[in-house]
Amino acid sequence: MTRPEAAGTATVSEESPLAEMIERLTDDALSERRRAAWAEYVSLPMPSKKTEEWRYTDLTKLEPESYEPLAPAGREVEPVPADDLPPAVREILEGAGVRSGTMIELDARLVRLDLEAAAAEAGVVFAPIGRIAEDRPELIERFLFGSDIAPMEKKLWALHTAALSGGYVLFVPKNVRVENPVHVMRWLSKAGALLSTHSLIVVERGAEVTVIDEYMSDDLDEGSLSLNGVEVFGGEGALVNYLGLQRYGSGVKHFSMQHANTPKDCTLNSFNVTIGGDLSRCDITSHLLGAGSDSEMLAVWFGDGDQHFDYHTLQHHAAPSARSDLLFKGALAGSAESIFRGLIRVDVGAQLTDAYQTNRNLLLSEESQATTLPSLEIAADDVKCSHGASVGQVDENQLFYLTSRGLTRAQAERLLVFGFFGEVLARMPVESVRDRMTDAIERKIDI
Amino acid sequence: MPKNETVARLGLDEYKYDFKTEDKPVFKAQKGLSEEVVRQISRHKDEPEWMLEFRLRALEIYYSKPMPEWGGDLSTLNLDEIYFYLRPQDRMERSWDDVPDDIKNTFERLGIPEAERSILAGVGAQFESEMVYHSLKEEWTEQGIIFESIEDGLKLYPEIFREYFATIVPPGDNKFAALNSAVWSGGSFVYIPKGVKVDIPLQAYFRVNAEQMGQFERTLIICDEGAQAHYIEGCTAPVYTTESFHSGVIEIVVKPNARFRYTTIQNWSSNMYNLVTQRAMVHENANMEWLDGNLGSKLTMKYPSCFLVGEGAHGEILSIAYAGDGQHQDTGGKVIHAAPNTTSMIVSKSISKGTGRSSYRGLCKVYEGAVGSKSNVECDALLMNETSRTDTYPYIEIDENQSSIGHEASVSKVGEEQLFYLMSRGLSEAEAMTMVVRGFIEPIAKELPLEYAIELNRLIELEMEGSVG
Repeated sequence: MTRPEAAGTATVSEESPLAEMIERLTDDALSERRRAAWAEYVSLPMPSKKTEEWRYTDLTKLEPESYEPLAPAGREVEPVPADDLPPAVREILEGAGVRSGTMIELDARLVRLDLEAAAAEAGVVFAPIGRIAEDRPELIERFLFGSDIAPMEKKLWALHTAALSGGYVLFVPKNVRVENPVHVMRWLSKAGALLSTHSLIVVERGAEVTVIDEYMSDDLDEGSLSLNGVEVFGGEGALVNYLGLQRYGSGVKHFSMQHANTPKDCTLNSFNVTIGGDLSRCDITSHLLGAGSDSEMLAVWFGDGDQHFDYHTLQHHAAPSARSDLLFKGALAGSAESIFRGLIRVDVGAQLTDAYQTNRNLLLSEESQATTLPSLEIAADDVKCSHGASVGQVDENQLFYLTSRGLTRAQAERLLVFGFFGEVLARMPVESVRDRMTDAIERKIDI
Repeated sequence: MPKNETVARLGLDEYKYDFKTEDKPVFKAQKGLSEEVVRQISRHKDEPEWMLEFRLRALEIYYSKPMPEWGGDLSTLNLDEIYFYLRPQDRMERSWDDVPDDIKNTFERLGIPEAERSILAGVGAQFESEMVYHSLKEEWTEQGIIFESIEDGLKLYPEIFREYFATIVPPGDNKFAALNSAVWSGGSFVYIPKGVKVDIPLQAYFRVNAEQMGQFERTLIICDEGAQAHYIEGCTAPVYTTESFHSGVIEIVVKPNARFRYTTIQNWSSNMYNLVTQRAMVHENANMEWLDGNLGSKLTMKYPSCFLVGEGAHGEILSIAYAGDGQHQDTGGKVIHAAPNTTSMIVSKSISKGTGRSSYRGLCKVYEGAVGSKSNVECDALLMNETSRTDTYPYIEIDENQSSIGHEASVSKVGEEQLFYLMSRGLSEAEAMTMVVRGFIEPIAKELPLEYAIELNRLIELEMEGSVG
């Protein structure tokens, strides 16, 4: 006897907690989009390693439906006393310096939301997505999920949308300069959870802001899944510095999908730091849509143990006279593995493009592995494009020099690793973050 | 100098190999691919049973593999319209005088016997599916060098042939290697004995004359311990309105301390699909160099590779690609470091003009245990027009930390400042442009045999004539 094949992909279980959550959705400003995204998620096949962009990270073993989706955050803050915050979060708050805005989510529960009075008076809006959807629907209509998503990214983007458990909208009106960084911290303490957060940053003409998204957790050895979508929409002449800091404990699998949409004379910079988690995949795209737009894309990572980091970047020059500059540096110890796959794409007519792409890798152990694929696709002739990639080890001559000056080999190696990262970390726009990231890397080297 | 004058002087106003002789083969297989065609080829070659079985197995692999979706556009390639086997004459000749007149004329026009007399150690010539001529100067025969058509290699040296054949590029390697394994015909079998150093090149010419022809040559080269040799292949075809297809497989073994250089200058006509697998297995302290010039064809997908399997092996790939209107050169190189202290270098230069597209696609892989490996890859691309396109796809996979790997690439257009400087010294814009482009390809052109270097320079000169004002 043969049974008729089930419709759709066999991998999606109708009885998964996620399917049930979608089933139970009550109608609100976002429910329609979430249902549509779920339908799209179900209909799309999970990319396998045969999909070029997923060649080095196997999604077929991810089983997103086996995780328990966290209930979406409400529109209001549910405050907790400072003493009940995780120590790591408290530590950041104490040492962070002045912040124009602060937001803390514990397991997708919004427990703190501050915006300095001056910014609020100037018309800056900083609030959870659920609240904006009701109070400022036009922002949601116009911008949320409005970025151009590549085909290979669609499956996870749909999952992220369907499972949305929190996130914020930051809106900075015309010509407003937000003095200090806006800092968003997410803490995950539940194992087996699916966290899906979104950051929507809309910065009007001539406005400026620096945003920090920071992800942390306990060691969750049973595993949790974190999906994170970031969309930045700049106005003419706007300036945004975006910092993505991933400092999860072990067991967490993190997928970050970042889209910067950069019109005329707008500058959108990003700086990503990857330190934690078991698996971390970042898809970072700069859509350079207007003449004179500019994007600096920086990243550092330090992997050890069995960590697997996969960076996928696109510098898409769709307009003439735009500039992009990418510098990604990673060091690997233990049996960690990293992949960098970057593409500069220059469209027909995007003359006078300046685009650079550099990936450097340091292998500190025998078992570590690095793969780098810096690619170019150029269809305009009056351009300056170059890329470089290297994989190597700590230089023996430099080690010898330092040890001959009385340093131990470990000390010398540590110093050289910092020298390696220094070139990137020096360009970190927030000093307190730079110091903390340096400490975090230092702690990893010492282990 | 006005364009017409230059063109007349060089006699290069069109694709100069666009002449054809009447198509009168002694045998022509039916169009398209089938088991019967494969059996016919094998029967015509009077092959041993194991080779027929090998071909049929390869055909199955070919059918089972999907068409590659990366690289160039293969959607317009219709293999049902291609003749897979075309036998131009009954037997291969050793003396140039015995080659039939029309075939001889073709090669005379390509300058082959002339070249042989002057500077070559041996010459092979393939017309359609078969080698029509193979000869080696006596002094080299005496030293034990074997330079035969691949068919004679199989007949005369069955043991050494079978030991190496399809071990370096197995049929399952890729779809087109499988296809070649099923329908291969023609190509060279070369053996350089231990310690023999051939200081002048061996050369093979490949010519496709008939319309809708598929050429599937197969070359097997064994360069024994401490030996040295240089092999050159040149390829041309007339221009037809229909598509032709060339899919060769080149296998090379470079034994310990040996040194081998393989030079390809492909100037296929603009209706040719050129999908070639070239690979060398490089042993202890041996040295392999690929010099790869891709000037012709509609689409070329070719990535010469060095498998560095012995300690201290060295591999080098020098690649130059020119993509004119409607051409796509998807070329590059692969180096696999599988032994300690292996070194490699890839230098790629490409020029895209008009609607041409050149893509560099490369792989540098260092396996765990290949300690002390070093590799450097450099790619430079020059874009001549707004409509030209260039891509770079280097794959770098490193599993060994005691190694040092670098990749650099740049893309630019001819610098205004360079042009201005040269023109201020009295050169016309076209002359200045030509000079800049020549300078760009010089590092590779200087490695070419003289006549090819001249040819390349002429081609560049001609192409640049039309590129300004």
